[in-house]
Amino acid sequence: MKKFYIILSIGILVVAFNRCNKAEDFPESGYDERLSGGAATIFDATSHALTNAMGGLNERDQRVHEIGDQTFDQTFVAPPSPIFTGLGPVFNNISCVNCHRNDGEGIPTAGFSNSGLLFRISQPGQDANGGPVAIPGFGTQIQDKAVLGAQPEAIFNISYADSMVTYTDGSSIVLTKPNYLLQNPYTSLPSDYILSPRLAPPLVGMGLLENIPETTILSFVDANDKNGDGITGKANYIYNEYTKRKELGRFGLKANTSTLALQVATAYQQDMGVTSYMQHEESADGQSQMNGVHGDVQPELVDSLLNYVVFYVKTLAVPARRNVSDPDIKQGSVLFNDLNCSGCHRPTIQTGFDQTLAQINNQRIHPYTDLLLHDMGSALADGRPDFLATGSEWRTAPLWGIGLLDIANGTPYFLHDGRAKTLEEAILWHGGEAQKSKQQFMQLNKADRDRIVKFLKSL
Amino acid sequence: MKKNIFILFISFIVLAFSFSCNKAPDTNTNGNSGTIEETVIKDFANNVALAQYSNLTDAAVSLNGSIVALTSTSNEQNLQGAQASWKNIRHVWEQCEGFLFGPIEDNDYDPNTDTWPTDYTQLDSLLASSNNLSVSDVANLPQSLRGYHPLEYVIFGHGDGRTPAELTPRLMTYASSLAGDILYNNVQPLYQSWASTPTNFAQQVIAAGNGSTKFTKRQDLFLAIVGAMSDICNEVGAEKMYDPYINTDSTITESPYSGNTLSDFKDNIIGLQNVYMGLNGGAGIKDLVASKNKNLDNQIQSQITAAVNSFDNITETYEKAIYTQRVQVQSVMTQLNNLKELLDNDLANFIRQYVLD
Repeated sequence: MKKFYIILSIGILVVAFNRCNKAEDFPESGYDERLSGGAATIFDATSHALTNAMGGLNERDQRVHEIGDQTFDQTFVAPPSPIFTGLGPVFNNISCVNCHRNDGEGIPTAGFSNSGLLFRISQPGQDANGGPVAIPGFGTQIQDKAVLGAQPEAIFNISYADSMVTYTDGSSIVLTKPNYLLQNPYTSLPSDYILSPRLAPPLVGMGLLENIPETTILSFVDANDKNGDGITGKANYIYNEYTKRKELGRFGLKANTSTLALQVATAYQQDMGVTSYMQHEESADGQSQMNGVHGDVQPELVDSLLNYVVFYVKTLAVPARRNVSDPDIKQGSVLFNDLNCSGCHRPTIQTGFDQTLAQINNQRIHPYTDLLLHDMGSALADGRPDFLATGSEWRTAPLWGIGLLDIANGTPYFLHDGRAKTLEEAILWHGGEAQKSKQQFMQLNKADRDRIVKFLKSL
Repeated sequence: MKKNIFILFISFIVLAFSFSCNKAPDTNTNGNSGTIEETVIKDFANNVALAQYSNLTDAAVSLNGSIVALTSTSNEQNLQGAQASWKNIRHVWEQCEGFLFGPIEDNDYDPNTDTWPTDYTQLDSLLASSNNLSVSDVANLPQSLRGYHPLEYVIFGHGDGRTPAELTPRLMTYASSLAGDILYNNVQPLYQSWASTPTNFAQQVIAAGNGSTKFTKRQDLFLAIVGAMSDICNEVGAEKMYDPYINTDSTITESPYSGNTLSDFKDNIIGLQNVYMGLNGGAGIKDLVASKNKNLDNQIQSQITAAVNSFDNITETYEKAIYTQRVQVQSVMTQLNNLKELLDNDLANFIRQYVLD
């Protein structure tokens, strides 16, 4: 009998506790949707909106960020020089900030001191590591400037052609397509070369993107399009020359770089001709331009400064969204999802663990990217493969901060070569996996199209 | 009973107090406050920014004149005249850096004229070459071979003074084109970008929160102004002064060959002061702050004054002071750091609280 009471009591307790309120999923409405970068968000809508450090860095990290910031802005000069030496002999620009203006994007011109467009080059096929085939005497990037006494590898002439796009409602818009002509190569160039223009992209939230778990990115892959939305998504795997390993690509316009450190070191080497412990060979190694270089010391960039610049980029804050309660913007957000723009530009992702930096650790972020490659159609194709990326595939561009580019940079430019001057133009250039979404966009009335653009400007 | 009445009495008192508690902050943005905002913005655009850019244009015209005179007659008097003109334009330019936003950033007028360091290896190659050196050729050189600092090298020499006899025709051609590049490709377009179409940035500023495409809210503009004040404070205190000081290295100062580094720094902070106090009889940010929080205004004014005056305790050139007057240098950096904190926290929060349109 005693057992019966015990069992009855336990039974009652179980039933009673079962009636307790179970924890439910935290409601969407409970999150502050302005916090695009989670704890790494900053409230600043001025021209410096993209240049802020994440809040709450400790004193040491703050100092490292500041030195990285100064080095990022620093002009490098031709060797020999006691300070900031190592520019060239061939290069695209003389400081990071000249292309990543205010930590935003570059200007889509070539050959000027403020030009932010560069050209990758290769021959058809793949090299031993699966990457683009370098061209002897040029490598895989054209440096269109050189120190005095040396010759640029080539220069570029850009011409533009207009075409008209007409919406279902009859209104139309002009799109401008750039055409790139390589001129004056310093030595002979094989006729089957392939060019890929790349505009310096904004640096928003790079530390957070680096901290997204690989499994999360891979979970977005839908190689066989099981859900039938026309969007597949492909991960790029690249060869990291420093670690000598094959790694998941997540940075660069074709997801052709795996880590921030590799991205920064390669930019110093290829874009400025500045060598470092990670990229210790001059971009012009073995070329005739090296003849004019005397008194150079390798590596040119001090190890700690490279690390500080990497840390600087990693700890840049994400600007908060503006006007999120505006009814048009709310409706634009709904339309963005309805048109399945969010199929690639994924609104919400959870970052992984990083106990060294609380601001990027386990954060709910809104980058609007899946970091995967997608076929963007023939109009945007460069025809140049880059590891697993085909000539028509590009990595989904993150959209956070995109609405602040006009304030940060004066004039905004969108897409891989900056051909679109408005967000509306950028949408209309989409094709391939985004064709269906674009067509739906074109069928909307003007008010709804404007709502989507207004929503994008709030990011 | 007495006890109950006492409790009732206390309750009324608490109730009465509670009515006086928790008042919303005075966020009145129309009427008086709105008018002050409008005046401050208008006076910033006209009396500070446009006026200073106009002064900069005059200084660049004068610099060009001095270089022309030196080119035609290379003597000590004309060399000194050119050096004085160079120091004068630096004086105006550094003050303009107190409000470094808008076309000066967007169109690269700052890096085109004030990039540091000068690329001496390439400068030697350039002078030894037979490359053309017209104004348009100089405009196509890397920024490390354009602007004030290469010109400083030409007219002040590289460490050991400059004599008129050293001024070769080639050097003077370069100097003329550098001065022309400053005037025609940078300073004049900078003024025009504020004063007239198509950019008319002064109008964008004045119309902030009222049709401006650059500043949809007045708060955005005020935060941009305060942000620029803070930036220059940080650039001088935590970078340009700090780096040579902490490394005890005078080769990494800003204007070493003219010995002008210290006055560059002080002028930067005076530029900030001009924005806060207003110029040429116009209103400044101070008028907006004082209308709501006189105590904060007093604090900011006295901290700016303390920062500006602290430079005077350094009696050597900055290049020497980092070796011989380290205490005074440290004290300036402390003042600048205090000022930056005040701007970043108190003033920026004030703007967020009171400028809501």
